[in-house]
Amino acid sequence: MNLEELAFLALAAVAVGTSVAALLVRELVHTILWVAVFFVDLSAIYFLLNAPFLGVLQLGVYAGAVTVLLLFGIMVTRKRIFSRDAATGIGPVPLALAAVTFIFLVASLGEFPQGTLTVQSYDPTALSGALFGNYGPWLLLLGLIMMSGVAGAIYLVREGRE
Amino acid sequence: MTALPVAWFLALSGALLAVGIFGLLTRRNFILILIAVEIAMNATILNFVYFAAFATSGTGLSGQAIAVVLIGFAATEVAVGLAIVLGLNRLKGSINVAQANELKE
Amino acid sequence: MDFTSFVGPFVPEILLLGGTLLIFLLDVLGLRRNEWLSTVAVTAVVLALLSVLGDLGFGPLSVLATLSPGQIDTLPAFGSAPLYHFTSLGLVFQAIFLLSALLVTLASASRPSDEPGAPIFYGLLLLATLGMLLVAVASDLIFLLLAIEVVSIPSYLLVGYRRRETRSMEAAMKFFIIGALSTVLSFYGASLLFGAYGTTNLFLIQADASTVGFPVLVLLGYGFLVAGLAFKVTLVPFHAWAVDVYDGAPSDVSAFLAGGTKKIGLFAFFLVFLGPVLLVNTAAAGQSPFGGGAVDLGPTLSITLGVLAVVTMTVGNVLALLQKEMKRMLAYSSISQAGYMLIGITIGTAPALTGATLQIFAHVLMKGGAFLVVAGVGALGIGPLIDDWKGFGVRRPLTGAAFALMLLSLAGVPLTVGFVSKFILFSAAVQAEGWFIWLAVAGLLNSALSVFYYARVLKVMYFDRPGPLETAEGTAAAASAPALGAGGLGYGRAVAIGLAAVLIVGVGLYPQPVVGAIQMAAQHFVSAGV
Repeated sequence: MNLEELAFLALAAVAVGTSVAALLVRELVHTILWVAVFFVDLSAIYFLLNAPFLGVLQLGVYAGAVTVLLLFGIMVTRKRIFSRDAATGIGPVPLALAAVTFIFLVASLGEFPQGTLTVQSYDPTALSGALFGNYGPWLLLLGLIMMSGVAGAIYLVREGRE
Repeated sequence: MTALPVAWFLALSGALLAVGIFGLLTRRNFILILIAVEIAMNATILNFVYFAAFATSGTGLSGQAIAVVLIGFAATEVAVGLAIVLGLNRLKGSINVAQANELKE
Repeated sequence: MDFTSFVGPFVPEILLLGGTLLIFLLDVLGLRRNEWLSTVAVTAVVLALLSVLGDLGFGPLSVLATLSPGQIDTLPAFGSAPLYHFTSLGLVFQAIFLLSALLVTLASASRPSDEPGAPIFYGLLLLATLGMLLVAVASDLIFLLLAIEVVSIPSYLLVGYRRRETRSMEAAMKFFIIGALSTVLSFYGASLLFGAYGTTNLFLIQADASTVGFPVLVLLGYGFLVAGLAFKVTLVPFHAWAVDVYDGAPSDVSAFLAGGTKKIGLFAFFLVFLGPVLLVNTAAAGQSPFGGGAVDLGPTLSITLGVLAVVTMTVGNVLALLQKEMKRMLAYSSISQAGYMLIGITIGTAPALTGATLQIFAHVLMKGGAFLVVAGVGALGIGPLIDDWKGFGVRRPLTGAAFALMLLSLAGVPLTVGFVSKFILFSAAVQAEGWFIWLAVAGLLNSALSVFYYARVLKVMYFDRPGPLETAEGTAAAASAPALGAGGLGYGRAVAIGLAAVLIVGVGLYPQPVVGAIQMAAQHFVSAGV
């Protein structure tokens, strides 16, 4: 087992552990801390996969912006709720659904090349060329989504005369 | 040259998706639900990144492009979700989904 | 590629975007009167609709006028692995989507002129419509799913645009949670397909479909996609949210959700499940008598979709029977109608596609129109219960007749468009033979079942003696509402309801032009793929 494989196993364990912890801890602020670690951990995985641009983006958008947004959400609403209500009954159905999903995915593992594959690295310049070239329409759609999201969100939270 | 087993990544993303769906269906606090959505979205993005990294065909780059777009999309989703939480919080003083039952008969 | 052929096909989208920006500009300038904003919105939608109809060969206003209708399918696409691609079936769907937006914007013109939130309502409505048009031209999975999000994000916010009403905001929250779940599932499915095929382009997936080396991964990918899209289309067992959301949303928005945005999921089913398997199987499946090749979805997917269709029809109808409230009854009926439309995709021949598309067109008129009536009569002092409608048909003959017409068409009574679409759909199922005949049987039994609850409403409207004319709170609501023209409905809403009613009867009596156009488009779709 080489260094990269060890690094991946460690990162994967942290990812699963922090995501579970984030959903199960009592105090909402602790949840945000776990989620922040989770986002940073995934960014490390992207670096491991030779995708530095995505790693940086993940750090900036998820570990930075999204975490702060969530923190703000908790701050603003916490005057009434400090922590979430005691975990309400974990129904057997959702648990079973999640388990079945996982089992199916593991079943499909057998199809994969069992050995290791070389990780390709892509030039960020080529990535930006593709984003603004052939795949430009995706960015346009993202722009439309963001425009409607921002306009509607501002309206919903704006204090104003009616 | 980095070389890694592909199957491990699929197992990781499957586990993260399962955690996300589980959280989405069982949590009652809206912020926790949002976080569960983000965990599942991250599993999806991870899928695109590693499939791109292990791609043998020439279209692997599109996987990274999709990941960039999806990261932006997920951030928008969080913003919209929080706007709904804040709006509802101002009306009711609670963001507990179980208490939002005025619709039920 | 020259500029005209690149931008030309996108004229309707550009018109809608221009309308949105103009509305937001008016908002910033403080010009927030409902009349002005609705005029801008209706104008943008009408121009876009005329442009789409022109491209389809109806009317003079076509940017693509140099092309004969069939040639739309051969328009050059952008790049070697195009993200979007124009088909005549896509244009037919664009026309249907614009029709639903037209009904809602017209009806909203009747709101009070100082209505709070009017700018955001029209702006988001136009943006969602723009997203629907983009869904109709997708030829790439990610483009398709992102376009669906261009519709979904404004829809969540539209449901909650009455931000001072708890019901509206709660419905928005439910809608958001379910929408987020559906989004994650469908994107995850797309990512697995990307892993199996190395691309998200539907053309390339088609070309590779026969030689794929990861069958379990592909099946899982399609499975996640079915689940994700099934939420959008409200298929049972992914339907529970729809009733609460349609019930809690402002009724005009419910009309847009049930009549309009739900249909994008169906078109996505067309693209994802008919397109890819088509080219591979055309040779083996042989020619159908209608020109295009018969489509074999592959037994697993086909049976899954068929079972979903039957379960959806039955559960929707049975639950609709039990409802006491008008909006909830209409919502359950909307769920069962989705089952009929899914039959067309399960069979996959050109006639079945024609039937399903016509059913979608009919549903825009019937369900959209019915929700608009419900939204309008709230101001006339009629409560949410079906029993509150006692004597409505006698007291309001015109509105009552239009509403009765919509219900009859939903039940599939002859001389209405609802009958024509079900006739084409079920006869296609019979022609396709094999186990598809059972789909027709299930559909017919369900239609018979649905007659019960539509007839119950008609009985209440026409034969039940009106109790005390209006409830006390209803009268108070009616008194506080500003007086509107057209018998209290407002002229815009009256025009919208009238337009829906006229089209229901008109196409029911003389279906040829509409059916002909859809038939041609469906044949092109089935023979060309994607």
